[in-house]
Amino acid sequence: MRRTRLHLLHMFSGIAIAVLAGIHMVALHLEEVLAFFGVDASEPTSWGAMIARSSQGIWVGIYIALLAFLLYHALYGLRGIILELTPSARKERVITWLFVVVGIAVFIWGSYVPISLLSS
Amino acid sequence: MKQTAPRSNYLGVGGWIWAGNYKLERYLYLLHRITGLGMLLFLTFHLTATTVFRIQGQEVWETTMALLSNPWLKAGEYLVAAAFVYHGMNGLRLILQEFGFLLGKPTPPIYPYKDALRKKRLWVVVMMVVIFILALVFLFDFIV
Amino acid sequence: MAEFNPEKITFKVQRYNPENGGAPHLEKFTVPFNKGMTVLDGLLYIKENIDSTLSFRASCRMGICGSCGMLVNNYPHLACHTQIEEFHSDKLTVRPLPNLSIIKDLVVDLTPMFSSHKQIKPYLIRGEAGMEDPNAEFAQSPQELNTFLQFAYCIKCGICLAACPTSASDRLFLGPQAMAQCYRYCADSRDQGQKERLPLVDTDHGVWRCHLAGACSEACPKGLDPALAIQLLKRQLAAEALGLGKRRPPSPVVPPIKESKPKVPYPDFTVKKEK
Repeated sequence: MRRTRLHLLHMFSGIAIAVLAGIHMVALHLEEVLAFFGVDASEPTSWGAMIARSSQGIWVGIYIALLAFLLYHALYGLRGIILELTPSARKERVITWLFVVVGIAVFIWGSYVPISLLSS
Repeated sequence: MKQTAPRSNYLGVGGWIWAGNYKLERYLYLLHRITGLGMLLFLTFHLTATTVFRIQGQEVWETTMALLSNPWLKAGEYLVAAAFVYHGMNGLRLILQEFGFLLGKPTPPIYPYKDALRKKRLWVVVMMVVIFILALVFLFDFIV
Repeated sequence: MAEFNPEKITFKVQRYNPENGGAPHLEKFTVPFNKGMTVLDGLLYIKENIDSTLSFRASCRMGICGSCGMLVNNYPHLACHTQIEEFHSDKLTVRPLPNLSIIKDLVVDLTPMFSSHKQIKPYLIRGEAGMEDPNAEFAQSPQELNTFLQFAYCIKCGICLAACPTSASDRLFLGPQAMAQCYRYCADSRDQGQKERLPLVDTDHGVWRCHLAGACSEACPKGLDPALAIQLLKRQLAAEALGLGKRRPPSPVVPPIKESKPKVPYPDFTVKKEK
């Protein structure tokens, strides 16, 4: 049942991304719509707004969780596409380990940055 | 008699795109795959911008943001937002249907044949309408 | 709709002869049209009257044997099951099914499909009691029968493989046909082989490579729904992995009929027995 568990995790991470990245997208792109509902979110990409967000623990938590789910979802999906293109057991092992290493490396770097900015 | 190996007739990646005159779901599958790959490409740029450039301080960040406010890149950003809406909502439908919901029970085939996806086409259409409305909301905000 | 009654139909048939080499090419044939003519009738006319070297596979002419699957006007059909009239066009392009290897002309090699069909153990598996020495049938209600009956109508023509986008690039993929048959046996109330069969589809080229493009169900000439079967199989796998769902015992053997008095008395003999 190993592949099934991996795929269930893929589906679960998909739902988690839909929620977390949904928050991220609404906060950063729908400023006019948010203003209509009385939330002031003008210029979300300015340095001041960005620093204000990165000093709040909740946003850092959302970003790190989002990064973890995104990396799993994206790399698992890409692995599936590559396996459909070049079906072979040996390539499967190579691709899987390569993606595990890349994923962990990107996750460490991507979560180090917001944590270091949190304390600054 | 000369023995010859059969000639391969696999369609390859072309077969993902077109293998005959099929209907809706086959192209939704293709679009799901394309939007997924597109967002992965965007993710690499986005992570570079929000980690490598951000950690270098205010000046580098503001130059990057000025660069990204180019109207062409804004249009690209809208495409990513639309891809996110599509991939997310269609993915939700796929999760439900892959677990056998919204598909009905197996019934004996009676002519004219109708498969489960065509019998329950309504759900797919509802999801497409939701995607379209959400994409319009994002479009509104990108234009204003 | 206007009456479709042309004098002649132009068949463009893909030819490929491995002994002569060369790439597959289209060859034109003109066939007189009669009302009620199927694509297979046209091909038979060509073979009998125009070019006897044309190869195609056909047997029953009534959509039962699953030999004559081919790509007619860019859509997989059973040639014997398809009226020329359906296309409302006097030009037909006939090609072999894609995603399978061509042996000659329209004949494709179905071996990969049959080997993956064999791989998923398409027979009833019973536990300790086994199938040894069966002395009575296994009990099954009509409702239980309906959960898998439609998948038992598969004629193994290979059309779902020709339609599937994953089969187009992934040669190790089991294919919609084999996985629908896997569901057919796993859903059978008489079967106990889930433990043996589910690991066979829980691989990198098994059930999770299906992305619900739905083309297999759309194209199936027998009205089966392989896409639905694969989704239900995924549901079984997920329930197994999460430990959800209730396990049903396999249906029991029908108990032998006890000797009983006939409920309706026999009528009296109309002819008196002579003593």
